[in-house]
Formats: sequence, C-alpha cells, structure tokens
Amino acid sequence: MVNLNCSKMKNEVENIIGLSNELRWKLGGEFHDHISESIYADASEIVEETVNTAGKKGRNAIDVKIDQIVTSRKWGFPIMFLILGVILWITIIGANYPSSLLAELLLDTIHPALKSGANSIGMPWWLSGFLIDGVYLALAWVIAVMLPPMAIFFPLFTLLEDFGYLPRVAFNLDYLFKKAGAHGKQALTMSMGFGCNAAGVVATRIIDSPRERLIAIITNNFSLCNGRWPTQILIASIFVGAIVPEALSGTAAVFAVIGIAILGMVFMFASSWLLSKTVLKGQVSTFNLELPPYRPPRFWKTLYTSLIDRTLIVLWRAIVFAAPAGAVIWLISNIMIGDHSIAYWMIDSLNGFGWLIGLNGVILVAYIVAIPANEIVIPTVLMLTVLVTGMAGGAGAGVMFELDSVNATGDILRAGGWTLLTAINLMLFSLLHNPCSTTIYTIYKETKSVKWTAVATLMPLAMGFVVTFLVAQIWYMFS
Amino acid sequence: MENKKITSACEACPQFNPHGLKKLGVNAENTDFVIALAGNPNTGKSTVFNALTGLRQHTGNWPGKTVTRAEGAYQYNDKKYKLVDLPGTYSLLSTSQDEEVARNFILFGKPDVTVIVVDAGRLERNLNLVLQILEITGKAVLCLNLMDEAKRNHVEVNERALAKRLGIPVVPTSARFNKGIPELIDVVSQVANGQIVCQPHRITNVPKNINEAVQKLSEKIKKQFPSIPNSRWIAFRLLEGDERVVEALRNGEFELQ
Amino acid sequence: MNISQPLYNLILFVLLAGLLYFLFRPTKGWFWIIQNSVRTDQKTITEDILKQMYTWENQGVDIFKEDLIKSLKYSDGTQEDVLETMEKSMLITQTEEVLELTRSGRSYAIKIVRVHRLWEKYLAEKTGFEKSEWHHRAEKMEHRLSHEETNILATKLGNPMYDPHGDPIPTHEGDVLDIEGESLAELDVDTVGKIVHIEDEPDVIYQQILAENIHIGSQIRVVENSKQRVLFYSEGEEFVLAPEVAKNITIQVFETEVVFEEDAVRLSSLKKGEEAEIIGISKEFRGDGRRRLLDLGFVKGTPIKIDLVSPLSNPKAYLVKGTTIALREDQAAKILIKKR
Repeated sequence: MVNLNCSKMKNEVENIIGLSNELRWKLGGEFHDHISESIYADASEIVEETVNTAGKKGRNAIDVKIDQIVTSRKWGFPIMFLILGVILWITIIGANYPSSLLAELLLDTIHPALKSGANSIGMPWWLSGFLIDGVYLALAWVIAVMLPPMAIFFPLFTLLEDFGYLPRVAFNLDYLFKKAGAHGKQALTMSMGFGCNAAGVVATRIIDSPRERLIAIITNNFSLCNGRWPTQILIASIFVGAIVPEALSGTAAVFAVIGIAILGMVFMFASSWLLSKTVLKGQVSTFNLELPPYRPPRFWKTLYTSLIDRTLIVLWRAIVFAAPAGAVIWLISNIMIGDHSIAYWMIDSLNGFGWLIGLNGVILVAYIVAIPANEIVIPTVLMLTVLVTGMAGGAGAGVMFELDSVNATGDILRAGGWTLLTAINLMLFSLLHNPCSTTIYTIYKETKSVKWTAVATLMPLAMGFVVTFLVAQIWYMFS
Repeated sequence: MENKKITSACEACPQFNPHGLKKLGVNAENTDFVIALAGNPNTGKSTVFNALTGLRQHTGNWPGKTVTRAEGAYQYNDKKYKLVDLPGTYSLLSTSQDEEVARNFILFGKPDVTVIVVDAGRLERNLNLVLQILEITGKAVLCLNLMDEAKRNHVEVNERALAKRLGIPVVPTSARFNKGIPELIDVVSQVANGQIVCQPHRITNVPKNINEAVQKLSEKIKKQFPSIPNSRWIAFRLLEGDERVVEALRNGEFELQ
Repeated sequence: MNISQPLYNLILFVLLAGLLYFLFRPTKGWFWIIQNSVRTDQKTITEDILKQMYTWENQGVDIFKEDLIKSLKYSDGTQEDVLETMEKSMLITQTEEVLELTRSGRSYAIKIVRVHRLWEKYLAEKTGFEKSEWHHRAEKMEHRLSHEETNILATKLGNPMYDPHGDPIPTHEGDVLDIEGESLAELDVDTVGKIVHIEDEPDVIYQQILAENIHIGSQIRVVENSKQRVLFYSEGEEFVLAPEVAKNITIQVFETEVVFEEDAVRLSSLKKGEEAEIIGISKEFRGDGRRRLLDLGFVKGTPIKIDLVSPLSNPKAYLVKGTTIALREDQAAKILIKKR
C-alpha cells in the first residue's frame, strides 16, 4: 500500500515536470526576460507610491563631483598612481622601524636567551638546534619581516576600499585589462598582491566572472610581494649599485627594483592574455562593475577588521608553513651523509643546472626549502654560502642569519662566487618563480581545483627558468 | 531630532526590552529560531549582521564582500536566535554560486524569519530581490537600511505605505550607527513568535500567457503537495527549467514542510 | 663544464621551443591534428555523410554519389567503403548514382543535428567560447555524445527550441520546426522584418557576418537591394553586405504593420547628456551576462543615461535605477534604447 502510494506520487511529480516542459516550450525562449520585467514593473509601481525624492533624481552632488575628478582624462591616472605610490612608500618606510624593533627582540634578544636557557637545562644540542635554530628562527624571521608591512599596507588599502575609491580604479583601468582578456578589478587584486599574494588571491572574490577571476588568481604572483621587496632591494644595492659611480648607486638600485616590479606587470599582462586565449577561453566571461556611492570610512573599525581579516589570517598561514621550513633548513644542514651535509650534496648536484640559468646551487636550494616564505631566502642563502665555502663568519650550520652591513653581506656573496649576472638573475628569479606555499594553499582553497593550482604554481616557475636561462646564455656569449 | 521620526514608524510595536538582549557571537548552538539575512550587495547587510551578533566581519564598500555563509547568534527575551548571513545577491533567478547558496537556504533551510536588508536610497533596484523572496516565504521583515544616506540624498520613504504594500513589517535602520537595531530585533521576534502575521506581496504584472501557465502548473503542485506555501514560485522555477527545483520535487524535499 | 657553449645552448633552446610550438599551438598544432585523425573512424564518416545528405535533401537537391564524396574531406576509397556498409545497414538507398536517405537514415541524421545544435546552444549559454568557435567544437562533439547524454544535456539547457544561430533544435522525438523566413538577398526595398537565422557555413562568409556585428533578433529595414550590394538599416546603423553574404541571413518578414522600431538604437551610440529609455537586450547577449543585466534593472522601459566616461573612454558608466553601473562598449552595443 505504501509502495503504491509512493509510485503514484512519483508519477504525479513526473506529470508536473512533464507539464512544465510542455508549457515552457509553448511560452518560448524569453521567459526569463518577461519575469524580470514583471518584477521590475511591480517594483517601480511600489516605489512610485512610497518614495518621495523631493524632485531630485540621480546621484548625490558631492559624489558626482568626486567622480568627475577621479575618473577624468586629466586627473584619473595621476591620482591613482599617486595614491598607490604613497601607500607603498608609507608601507616600506613605515615598516622599517617596527621591523628592526621586532628583529632585535625576536632574533637578537629572545633567540640567544632561548639558546642559553636550553643549554642551562641541559637540552641536547640537536634538540635545541632543531627547535630553536630551526623552527623558532624561521618563525621569528617571517613575523619580523612580514607583520609590520602587512599591518600598515592592508589597513590603508581597506580604508580606500571602504571609502569606495577602489571600484573607480577598476573603472579607469578596465580598458587596459580588457585588452589582456582580464577584468578591471584585477588592477586591485594586483595592487593587493604587492602587499601579499595570498591576500591578493583572496581579494579576487570581487571579480564575479569565472574566467577573469581565474586569470587574476593565476597571475597574482607576478606582483612583487612584501616578502620579496627586501631581497630585491638588498641585492640591487650590493650589485647594481656597485657598477655606477658611488653618488648614483642609491638611485640605480631603486630604479633596478622598480624595473623588476614593472617587468612583473608586463608578465602579468602577457600571461593574462595568453591564458585567456588558450586554457581559459572556455570559461564563462561576463562584465559589470557597480560604482557604489562614497561613504566616509569608519577609521577604527576598519583598522580592527582589516587587521583581523587580512593581516592575522595571512600571518597565521605563513607561520604554519614557515615552522616546518625552519626545521628542514636546520636538518639538511646538520644531517651528514658521508663527509658532508645533505645541503652540501643538494647544492653540489644543483650547481650545474644553476650555472645554466645564471644562478648557483645555493640559491636553488634556498628557493626549494624557502617555498613556505620568501622572507627567509636571503638568510638561508647566507647560511648555506658560509656552510659550503667553509669561510669564517655566520652563526653555525642550519642557523640563518643576516648582517647589518650591506657591504659585509656583499663580501660573503662574492666569496660564494656571485657576479652581477647572479644578482640580476636572482632578482628575475625572485620575481618569476612559484608562489610561496601560503599562496599555493590559498589558490587551492579559492579555486578548489588541483589543475588551476598546478598552472598557477608551475607557469611562473617555467617562465623564470626560461628568462634566467636566456639572460645567462646571452650574458655568457658576450663575456 | 532627526531620528525620532524614524524610530516612531513602528508604532504598534511593544517597547524594546534592552535587558533582554544578549549578543552571542559565533555561539550558535541550541537556538530557538533561525533567521536568514538576505539582501543586495553593498547594502550594509554585514553591518547589520555585526550589529546583531556583536561579531566583526569585514564589511567593505564593495559589492560582493561576503562570499561564504557566515553564522552568528543573539539572545532576546529568553529566546536564542541563530543568524545566517547569506551572500549578497541582486536576484535569486540566475545561476551564479552565490545566488544558489542564498536561494537554497531560503527555500530548503526554511528559516523562521528572513530579514531582507535594502538600501533605502535605491529601493527600486532592491525590490527586485525583495519581491522574489516574498514569493518564496511570507515570514519576512524588511530592514530599510542606510537611512542616513538616503536622507542626505533627499530620498524619503513612506515606511507605513511600503509595509502595507509589501505585506511585511518594515524597520528603518542605520546599522553603521546602530540606529534602528533594537526595533529590528523586536519585530523579528514578533514575526518569529507568530505575533505578526505577514501577507506577502505577490508579483502582479505578469504577462497573461505566462500567468495562465503558472496558474495551471501551480494548481497541480498544490494538489500534490497541499502544504507548500510557495507553489506559484515553484511553478515559475519549473517553467524556467531550474534543475535544482526539479530535483527537489523528485526527492520529495517539499513534502517535509 | 661541457655545457659551456652558450651559442649551442641557445640554438638548442630555440629548436625545442619551436618544436613545442608546432606540436601544441591551438587547433593547428600537430599533436591535435594527429589526435583528431586517430579519432576519425567509421562512425564519424557515416555520421558526416548522413548529415550532408540530410542538408541537401532538405534543400531539395538530388544527391549524386560523386558530389557527396567530393564535398567531404575524407579519402574517396574510405567513403566508398562506408557508403557500401551504410547501404547494407539500410541507412541509405542507391539508384544508379543517386543516393537517398531511408527513414532510419533520416532519423539518425536528425539525431546528429540535434546533438550539434544542442552543443552549440550549450557553448553559447554555459561557456565563454567565442562565437566563431562554436561550430567546429559542435562538429566534433556531435559524434561523441550518446543518446542518453544528449537528453541530459537538453534537460540541463531547459529543452531549448533554437540554437544560437536561430536553427530549430530537433526534439527528442525527432520533430523539427521550420524556420519561417526569407533570405535577406531576396527582399524588396522597404521590407521590414527580423533576423531569425544566420547560417554558420561556409566559414568564410560566417566570419564576415560576425565581423559586421549583425545580431539575431534585430529588426531591419531593407534600403537598397541590387546585384552589387544589399543595404539595410538596423538599430540605428546602416549595414552593407554583398548579396553572397546576405543570402546566408534569414529574415522573418513582418506581414502586418508591426511598428518598426525606427528610433531603436544601440546603447553604445548614446552620448553624454542624452537621456534614453531601454527597449531591450539583444538576443546575442546570452547566458549569465544577460541574466545579470536583467537583475541589475536593464529591463524594458527603464530610463538610462551616461553617468561617467572612463579616461580611456571605454567602459562607460550608466545610471540605471539610481545606481551607477559600468559596461563595456561591446556590451552596450547589444542593448537597445530609444532616445528621448
């Protein structure tokens, strides 16, 4: 009996569905349009009866005034670049002080204290080395380098966002991005990437067109992030600054770094175009961009939420990934196979390939173990260089370090066989390589696709190999 | 006082009891009622959510901020309310993921009350979503947000006429400044407890041939599932070929009302 | 190190890159070509023959075996073999050199056409592939989908009636609607009508029509029709086509005096300061993009004007129902308005 009822019910349901198919066929293809029109017809009737606009239609006069300036032919672009420039400047300059304060606290005070503490309680050297020199040091480094700039950059960006200016930037730049098959809002996710690529990837949620969102996610890595700026600046000051007269060395270094950042944008546009024409051409692409009214941002609230939402979450993920990296760095430098450490063997086997692309084994090993965080590339490079050259200095096997003096750092690197080519190619490779693991993980979270995560990871790496290879080979040919 | 007038719009309401309110943050277990928060992007929906739950979700001046569903809770007069912040959408008719999430929750999650947050200054466009939600559920409250901004732009909304026309309570708010939130909490509790019974507006300007088809189909659905409150809306969706609704019909999801 | 010959390294690299390019470049890459030719089997050839015969029979042409073999890109020998098998399995009959479809051959052909058109509809509605690619992709897919898969696809698309070119999609039962209309090349001056179909073969002509930005569903009025050219007016713009091209556009002629929306123009022609009212969104605006615009209030009767022009003049932001919404030029070209 129950079964009978059930199958009768099924029949009835199929009947209803069948009838709906039949009726749909009769009504023709414009059903959706008619429904939307009906709803809006009701809506405008209701509004007619209940809303009084006091004879004033259209937008707020102040909003219109602001919009006329920030989207004008004359002022639109200068205002945009000025704002981005000021934000980056405040971030880089402003982060210096808290960064060195944190470094002093975490690296120069707490680290030795922990070490001596460990000694006094008789902790075995390998345990204190693993935990304190490996795990703790990597964590401390990431926090010291990463936290201050992010804590400055993101709130500033969020203030602009809350005010309503960012959609105007997308509006101004959309034409350029459209040429590359991308969405104007990618200008914003790209700028966010200058702060942190993982945050930039999360920010692509504002792009509601699937194809353009994937493009923005995959190409975000071409924005030079906070973790890579210091590397660029350091290497440029040591090597690029040295080839020009001393008075100009500062300027030359700055231009070299800016040049790399601009090169990143060029790669971003080129690969956006390539992706939209090849692997992504089947993805749905739509466009619409709402320009919301301006709203005075609420300063403290914004500060709080942007710290919680962006900075701390990203920092947390970085910490989760940096800790094991620190452990690995310590382990490979201290575990011996035969006469040498694992690190030595790795470096030795990668030297040949490193030469081919104008780098060396040390740099490649540093990039392999520093996938979790670009911040620890330079300390790792210095540690490994000292380790393989056997020179004096450094802090011991597996203990990352950095020197206060730029010249002294340069001396170590030159002793490790670095030339101007190594420096240039390191700068290029720092721009063009796989995203850090935090970003890779974020890309996976956002796309939920192994395929797109793999593309986003391997594409820049392949580009990095090709570019550094070409530069190196051409360099070798003329020298 | 400019706000005096706004708060008095809810004349019939009993006084808000400030001691009865407790913001519970993310602690949303064992609640008595489930409240859905729907609305267009950029209408301050997340701000309303934060004001009610005491949470601090980021709210940007940027359409499409909330992508995933956020949940929070508050307690009022000894009843616990779970608040579900749905993704901001312009409509429930399309196929985008956000709309799917919002639509499915209102339809299948069967919230006790749906609070629809709208921008008072852009009512017409917001009504697109409101009218669609009212086709699905009658237990709704309209939260007329951004009143301060509307006022600055000389937009005046006759809330009583609007409430009458839509058949649901209308509460003006300025969530950014915590204005109107007590009234909102109170009205929501009354709808949840059945003290206010809504008579939701149904879309009237439907072309004749479509209306006939909808009627035919909706009667059949009603006959089969007498307890369905929104047979007309299901008929609309079937005519559009909405697969999820077809699937729900087949699985009998509508019988468990 | 013995890899220290930069010149050789570079040459090797260039060769390798070139090889990869020729192997994998889109559509013309050797890898894809080989992959395709491996996939070409008896079934594909049979189905292509059936489809070609179906088209010709619909046009009322007698099908000579020789013509048929010449029209398809497979080798003569294979086709002969396939035709023989087809005759044996009663898909076609042959009297002297003239071929004819049997009943079952015809219904098989209709099934293929159904898959082809459904797939084009799918590409148009649910993917971002360019219009110019739909046909080629559907050509491949029509041989791959099973009957059940086709029906699932049709349900997913809501059992559509027409494909994006305006061709009727055969139903599950094999019924085919007729397109009512006349070729644009044969219309008298001052005829008023609506574009209901744009033929996508041959490719050369279809690409020309695409380049002109002519949309299905647009109303037109013929202004001039001579041996050299067909000139017509549509959506505020003038279009000139060679008769050869115009032949591939089908117009449904308005018999009664339907009001020709003479003043209907494209939104892209609106200038700053002008006010207008939306008439509708072109049928060429499909899928998610179209639904989103409707949701945003781009519906019939809505007042619209330009609010802001971006520094590079594209996109432009329009004021609709109190909200500023930016659209790109190509989108604005698919929205019809009436200036006030």
